[in-house]
Amino acid sequence: MIETIVLNARRAADAAPAVRDPAYPLFAAAVGKRLVERWDEVLAANEADLRAARDAGLSPAMVERMGLAGAHLEALAELTRQVQEDLPAVTAPGPEVRGVGRSRARLVARPLGVLLMVYESRPMVTLDSAVLAVCTGNAVLLRGGSECRGCNAVLADVIASALRDAGLPEHLAQVLLDTDRAGLRELMKRDDAIDVLLPRGGSGLVSYCRTASRIPVIAGGAGVNHLYAHSSADADEAVRLVLDSKLPDPAGCTALEMLLLDEGLADDFFAALTARLDEPDVRGLVLRTPAEVAERLPAELTRVLEVRELAGNDDGREFLDTTLGVRLVSDVDEAVRHVRRHGTGHTEGVAARSAEVVERFTAQVDAAAVVVNGSLRLHDGPTMGAGPEIAISTGRLHVRGPVGLAALLTRSWVVDGGGTVRFRRDGAEGEDR
Amino acid sequence: MTVADANVREEVNTAVKKMVVAESRLSIDPATVGDTEPLNGEVLRVTSVGFLSMLIRLEDELGVTLPDDLFAGRSFHTVADLVDVVAPTCTGRAAG
Repeated sequence: MIETIVLNARRAADAAPAVRDPAYPLFAAAVGKRLVERWDEVLAANEADLRAARDAGLSPAMVERMGLAGAHLEALAELTRQVQEDLPAVTAPGPEVRGVGRSRARLVARPLGVLLMVYESRPMVTLDSAVLAVCTGNAVLLRGGSECRGCNAVLADVIASALRDAGLPEHLAQVLLDTDRAGLRELMKRDDAIDVLLPRGGSGLVSYCRTASRIPVIAGGAGVNHLYAHSSADADEAVRLVLDSKLPDPAGCTALEMLLLDEGLADDFFAALTARLDEPDVRGLVLRTPAEVAERLPAELTRVLEVRELAGNDDGREFLDTTLGVRLVSDVDEAVRHVRRHGTGHTEGVAARSAEVVERFTAQVDAAAVVVNGSLRLHDGPTMGAGPEIAISTGRLHVRGPVGLAALLTRSWVVDGGGTVRFRRDGAEGEDR
Repeated sequence: MTVADANVREEVNTAVKKMVVAESRLSIDPATVGDTEPLNGEVLRVTSVGFLSMLIRLEDELGVTLPDDLFAGRSFHTVADLVDVVAPTCTGRAAG
């Protein structure tokens, strides 16, 4: 069965039209249209999956990620619109460069090949992965979790209809509904047939894929993210940036984990935070800080917020909840040293009015994104203005930051020689210039 | 408990500790994790049980096929709770 799947994928990749073919934006539009037609069916299947998951006693975290609502349909419509708008620029050939003789060369966009996406719980990943992968000319294998099988079966129909509407090969996107973990292991060994592995899930899944497969991986890793608030920062603005970086979706990969607070700003920061305790979500914040810092906290703050002592393992930890580590640092250099030691190169931020401090922090900290005087949540493809994305990569090669359309393409040179030879000219050696 | 069962439990204990350390994104020696260590506490940070990465890591480590619903409908608080559920699925197989 796995052999048939990969063979069909390779054949579809070979048969697919070149990037920039009008079939690709047609596919994006067709996915949007077909999804609207089938949305009630998608919701019903999702509801059945949710019931089965609850009955089976799946963890609340998993069940919570499975749910679909109207907002998902709107998000998909926006994604397909943006993909159609962005495709011409993303797939455009590069500028021509002049070589020896009459030769000219330029880079042209090509698909990565056959992609394997592994994910669970979130059914809309099936559609947004299919749109971005197929619109860049790739063949894609979509292996979701068995807990979403019913919903994914309907989404597989949506994708198949859209492929037909656009006149694309039927196996260009295959939703693998019956591939168990043994089958997945087999797929992950097929580095002869699959070009890129894209795990879309928790850091456990990503680290497993990195170590268990020889297929190159594009994925986000854990986001142990810091924000350094310098003494030159506006205390209330720093508080707003911290709260936005932490409280909404605290398990997200761009969530703030550790605030590195400059000694000179600490008291003003704590006072500004105390002034915001009436905001409902702020009361859910849990602070973890060394005992000597806890002693400096205003009484009102410790009365309302849960404050715990920072443990040794909390440096470099993704809390995945509303817990925020707070450490005091003496200057930007100490902050940079902490980030370099404990950060995961995902999203790091600095809040400062001092241009010198900002320059030093951005020069010294190496992360997929360094945010200056902004919420760490700005590190997101559409929010940054970088277009739709399917992940945020922390890898150092090929793509770093939002994994958008451009990241699902490679580029190769087309050299137009115009009859130019390099070594032999008229029977004699030498470049034809 | 037979000697064979005890060996299997020991093997499962090691595999579970490796798994929870990996899931907690810690770089500590799994052997330093105690059997009564809370799954979501000061050291470990396993907030939810049953994701693909957990099952596939355990299967790789133990050379067994685990049922999809192994962790469903149960609550887990410590490392030993997980070992209690995984070990019976591995008995009858020679410890590796």
